[in-house]
Amino acid sequence: MAIVTEYYLLLSAAVFCIGLYGILTRESALMFLMSVELMLNAANINFVAFAFYWGNLTGQVFSLFTMALAAAEVAVGIGIILVLYRNFDGIDVTEAATMRW
Amino acid sequence: MAGAYDFVPAIAALPFVAFLVSLFFGRYMPKRGAEAGIIATAGSLLLSIWTALTVAGFTGPATSYNENLYTWVAGVDEGALSLHLGVFVDPLTALMLLIVSLISFLVHVFSLGYMNDEGETGLPRYYAGLGLFTASMLGFVFSNNLLMAFMFFELVGLCSYLLIGFWFRDEGPPSAAKKAFLVTRFGDYFFLIGVVGIFVTFGTGLFAPITEGGTVVAESFPGVADAALNGEASVDTFGFGTQTWVTILGLLVLGGVLGKSAQFPLHTWLPDAMEGPTPVSALIHAATMVAAGVYLVARMYGFYLLSPTALAIIALVGGFTALFAASMGVVKQELKQVLAYSTISQYGYMMLALGTGGYVAAVFHLTTHAVFKALLFLGAGSVIIAMHHNENMWDMGGLKDKMPVTYWTFLAGSLALAGIVPFAGFWSKDEVLYEALIHGFGTLGTGEVGMLGGLYLLAYAMGLLAVFFTGFYTFRMVYLTFHGDARTETAEDPEPVRWNVKGPLAVLGIGAATVGLINMKPVAELTGAHIDFLHKWLMGPEEGGWPAVTSTGLHHYEELLHDAAHVTAGYPLGETPTLLVSALVSLSLAVGGVLVARSLYGGPDPVEHTDRLGGVKTVLMHNYYQDEYQVWLAQGVTVPLARAADKFDQGVVDGVVNGISSVSLFTGSRFRRIQSGLVTNYAALMTLSLVLLLVVFVVFGGVVN
Repeated sequence: MAIVTEYYLLLSAAVFCIGLYGILTRESALMFLMSVELMLNAANINFVAFAFYWGNLTGQVFSLFTMALAAAEVAVGIGIILVLYRNFDGIDVTEAATMRW
Repeated sequence: MAGAYDFVPAIAALPFVAFLVSLFFGRYMPKRGAEAGIIATAGSLLLSIWTALTVAGFTGPATSYNENLYTWVAGVDEGALSLHLGVFVDPLTALMLLIVSLISFLVHVFSLGYMNDEGETGLPRYYAGLGLFTASMLGFVFSNNLLMAFMFFELVGLCSYLLIGFWFRDEGPPSAAKKAFLVTRFGDYFFLIGVVGIFVTFGTGLFAPITEGGTVVAESFPGVADAALNGEASVDTFGFGTQTWVTILGLLVLGGVLGKSAQFPLHTWLPDAMEGPTPVSALIHAATMVAAGVYLVARMYGFYLLSPTALAIIALVGGFTALFAASMGVVKQELKQVLAYSTISQYGYMMLALGTGGYVAAVFHLTTHAVFKALLFLGAGSVIIAMHHNENMWDMGGLKDKMPVTYWTFLAGSLALAGIVPFAGFWSKDEVLYEALIHGFGTLGTGEVGMLGGLYLLAYAMGLLAVFFTGFYTFRMVYLTFHGDARTETAEDPEPVRWNVKGPLAVLGIGAATVGLINMKPVAELTGAHIDFLHKWLMGPEEGGWPAVTSTGLHHYEELLHDAAHVTAGYPLGETPTLLVSALVSLSLAVGGVLVARSLYGGPDPVEHTDRLGGVKTVLMHNYYQDEYQVWLAQGVTVPLARAADKFDQGVVDGVVNGISSVSLFTGSRFRRIQSGLVTNYAALMTLSLVLLLVVFVVFGGVVN
């Protein structure tokens, strides 16, 4: 008995919203990074769920790409966070507002 | 075989090389660059003589030459406009080349005495200016199209500016130079529009058609205009009638002529131009700058003949200027000022002749005037050297015995200017007046333009009256300068002048006495001998030859005068008596002027009589307030206009631009606040926008039109 696609979508939406909430409320850059990961993985869930639903592999292959992308993103993100720490003595994203108008 | 025509460009190129040599190497030369100028102008003179002989047919059949030598803008499309530099040589060109190169050669030699011997500084600049001046005038003379003529015309203007302002450290010369430049530029502005108009309308600026083996390969603009008037060709006349448009174009070009030839109302620069060195004045007045305007009218005479209105205006302006300038010359106290006004007056005669259909008379007067006016200016230069650069005639007197060469040559020039038989000016001025008279009578009440004959006679009357004034002021000048007792110590013991002053004076003095012999029309008429050489020179051979090719011959002009302008000759007393009476009247007026001058100023100790003129004197001394009204035009009209335009520019045009920019600046400064620098805010904005977008999609069903 297969689980209905709607549940997957609900799960995905929930994970996405959690990630979004994290981005909108948290101040720590690390938490930001994690929230972005959550949102990416919500998309992955969608991909896999629809792939399963339509019975082809395109979505699954895409989710592999997304994972590779996420890994790269984390590498870049961690680098940014390191620089952030060095320049602002902390990883609070609200501190780093010197490049605005 | 290389003929004379292959060397025509060199006539202008030689003085140009002299210009470069004087400019860059003049300071290493013993005479500071004069050598280059003298050699170059001598070369030009020889080449001009060769060219004239070739045109005359001494080296073969009488020919003309018209070629485009260099194309600097080539039209690509079929029938597109191409701009060329080219050479056109016909008898008029050859004659003018001869005059210009002769006068400038003599002026260069004279400058040795006037500039070098007087220890002037900056001589390389002076000789470079003279060289470029000569070069540009010669280039102007042999131009084969209007645009090329315009370019050299402007170069002539530039050189006059440089030379009039030669003593730029004094106060007067730079201002006079600027005035000369600006006033002539005002006229040239109309000339430029006219050039563009002629190119656009007729598709060519050629003065004469270019032929190859007897067939016309490029038509000239007077030719096209003639064909258009006869309905044989169609041209774009911008909504005007063809006749009207030809008149408009002619008058636009005439603007440049009025400026350069110092005709009313653009004559005001010329008396001020006396601030320049005297040899330069001689060059400007006799052969180059001022002659350029009249020469241009003669060059495109076939075009002006198509418009009786333009002819009438030329005649009227000429006659009026002749009288107007002569009356101002009567009261001047400085030698060169008198000569300046006489120049304006004499060019007025040439314009009068051209306007009344006296082509030969105008060219004749141009020739004789070049000789005797150069002579008078060089003579004045000689007097000025002797007087240690004091030009006031009231400080002179009695110079007759102390400088005989200058006196006798100056007297020859004065007799020529006053128009006393048999000196050059008599023959030419008499012919000018005669042409005006017969064409005035012949056209009276007939012709397409009813007023034409009356206007001609009015212009004739003014010209005739000016003869009296000319005789008077010329001999007032002679008596004050050379006769009577010396009135100052300088005049008691004048500085002697050397060969380089006397040589040119002697050459020109002989010329002033004899050059009139080239066209003694009254004598030719009386004796039946064919001695009107200039007439024949401009007429060309009866059949074929150059006039048929170039259509710049006298035959063609006479036909046009009769057929297009509807001007005919009329003889109120019969042909020969009219000629004689006309000559007698002008001669007796001239003699009358001389006698009045003699009775007023001929004594050993002359006194000023100008006070007797009362209020008229003030008006004349102030040159009829011409300068004042032009200054008023500039300051009272142009400046407020410019201010208003500036206000409009600053307020409206710039205001709109500034308003738009400040609005966007303001909104920008408000909108940039959303760039808070906080990643959270950006993320929130992105989310909200996405939500908004989704809402829009939902409301409009996913189809947004």
